[in-house]
Amino acid sequence: MSIRFRLFFLFTLFAGTTLALGYFAYDSFANFREQRHQLDMSYAIAYEINDINVLKPGNEVHRLQSYRARLAPERRMEEFSNLIEAVNEGNPRVLRERYQIFQRNEREFQRFTRDELDFLEKRLMYYGTLSLVILAFGFGFLQWFVHRAVIRPVDDLSRKMVDFLHDRYTYQFSVPSSDEIGHMQATFNSLAQRVITNMEQLKTLDQAKSEFLSIASHELRTPLTSIKGSLSLMRSGVVGKLNEMADNLITIAENETDRLIRLINDILDLAKIEARKLPLHQDWRSFNELTKVTLESLVGLAQQAEVQLAVEAMPPIDAYIDGDRVQQVLTNLLSNAIKFSPKGASVMVSCEINDRHELYIAVKDQGRGIAPEDQDAIFQKFRQATNSKNPLVKGTGLGLAIARALVEQHGGIIGVKSTPGEGSTFYFTLPEWRYGLPKVQEAAAS
Amino acid sequence: MRILLAEDDPNISVIAKLSLEKIGGFDVTVVNNGESALSEALTQKYDLILLDEMMPKMNGLSVCREYKSQCAQPKPIIFLSAKSQESDIREFSDNGIGFIPKPFDPTKISGQIMALLQGPAA
Repeated sequence: MSIRFRLFFLFTLFAGTTLALGYFAYDSFANFREQRHQLDMSYAIAYEINDINVLKPGNEVHRLQSYRARLAPERRMEEFSNLIEAVNEGNPRVLRERYQIFQRNEREFQRFTRDELDFLEKRLMYYGTLSLVILAFGFGFLQWFVHRAVIRPVDDLSRKMVDFLHDRYTYQFSVPSSDEIGHMQATFNSLAQRVITNMEQLKTLDQAKSEFLSIASHELRTPLTSIKGSLSLMRSGVVGKLNEMADNLITIAENETDRLIRLINDILDLAKIEARKLPLHQDWRSFNELTKVTLESLVGLAQQAEVQLAVEAMPPIDAYIDGDRVQQVLTNLLSNAIKFSPKGASVMVSCEINDRHELYIAVKDQGRGIAPEDQDAIFQKFRQATNSKNPLVKGTGLGLAIARALVEQHGGIIGVKSTPGEGSTFYFTLPEWRYGLPKVQEAAAS
Repeated sequence: MRILLAEDDPNISVIAKLSLEKIGGFDVTVVNNGESALSEALTQKYDLILLDEMMPKMNGLSVCREYKSQCAQPKPIIFLSAKSQESDIREFSDNGIGFIPKPFDPTKISGQIMALLQGPAA
């Protein structure tokens, strides 16, 4: 049965009972007033004609007649009329007789009415009290009903929804009741069921993706390992001296294999980062040390490109990072900067605290700069700024996409500021950092 | 010096055997699964055992544990593996004398083996 109907039924019952009791109380009260009025009048008449000698024809009788019209019940009116008639007739014997009857009757009426009034008073009090009690109980019952039928199930549902939100699946309502709340619970059940089904599908998909990643990385790397191994053995001369042409061909094959390996590693890295399969091993690392190591690893490339690497003054800073991953970011940015710089230019690394209290690392080059319309595209997969003629510029087009994914995984942002023709500044931020050990203590410790 | 090489990928085992024989001058026997690796190792004909971690029938670590439990004087064991997480590396160095990451450079593998044989102090 629906709550709407039950509430309507209860309200009607409640209102009906209260109305009926109210009507009875009103009726008793009206009756009470009338009886009391008659009693008062009876006393007044008795007071006015306290002696038979008062009853004289003329004015006196005329005044008494004003009472007559309002006397009830009828019998009393008749008797009063008889009395007045006797006064007008002037027969003393009849008058006395009538007067005695009238007085006796009035006394009788007064006694009876006093009893009646007592009874009515009690009844009024009884109805009044009963109305109050029913009112109180009725409201209590209504509140209990609303609480039980509406508020409690709604609370329960909201608790289950919160549980659901926190990945605790206690959502099932075993037997949903057949009212409005029951419909809601049943709907919630179906909804939850669908969400769980979808989640399971997603989990399966996710698992399939992980499996694909691990199979792909194994299946792609294994043959490359053999190819690379064979080539380097051949080139090392253990299987016999090669002639110059063969040596050149082997070198080409080896370089291209290296490039393929780098590409595969980049693609798999990016896929893993995007699938969140690459957990960060975060730790407090000296950022200055990290920069130094990164720069050292790029000295060869810089010399090849005839580019100077320089570090602007850096405060001693520790950052809470995955050292290897941030080094990868820095390497990608720096090697890009080197590759896109003209001969004799310099690449500058700086590190400061920005106004949002984040670690702000910038790599500034003196290259051709990047057109505004390319500035977003270069952070996407397989995208490089258009038509570069530099032979050193051969990358997978994934470096910046990987850098962005890694920086974002650390909770930072990455971006570029560039004016075409004036070079570019690539920057990224790291939110968790602190001032490292001062140089003196570092020296003492080491 | 005789080396037992357990490696399931035939290409890689050819390369490793060639490199170890030509560059390192070792005498190399190749097996291609965990069970044969274990039975060969138990013959005690070898001075060093190179175990790939991922092999059919029995993985490298199980071969190593089994071998050590059945043999009174086990020979030194070096693992070859593409696994590079710290927990894996720790397990390799706890069970054997060391670990060579895959993919390895065939021109350097003999040197790596010699360095591991001379111990961590060297």
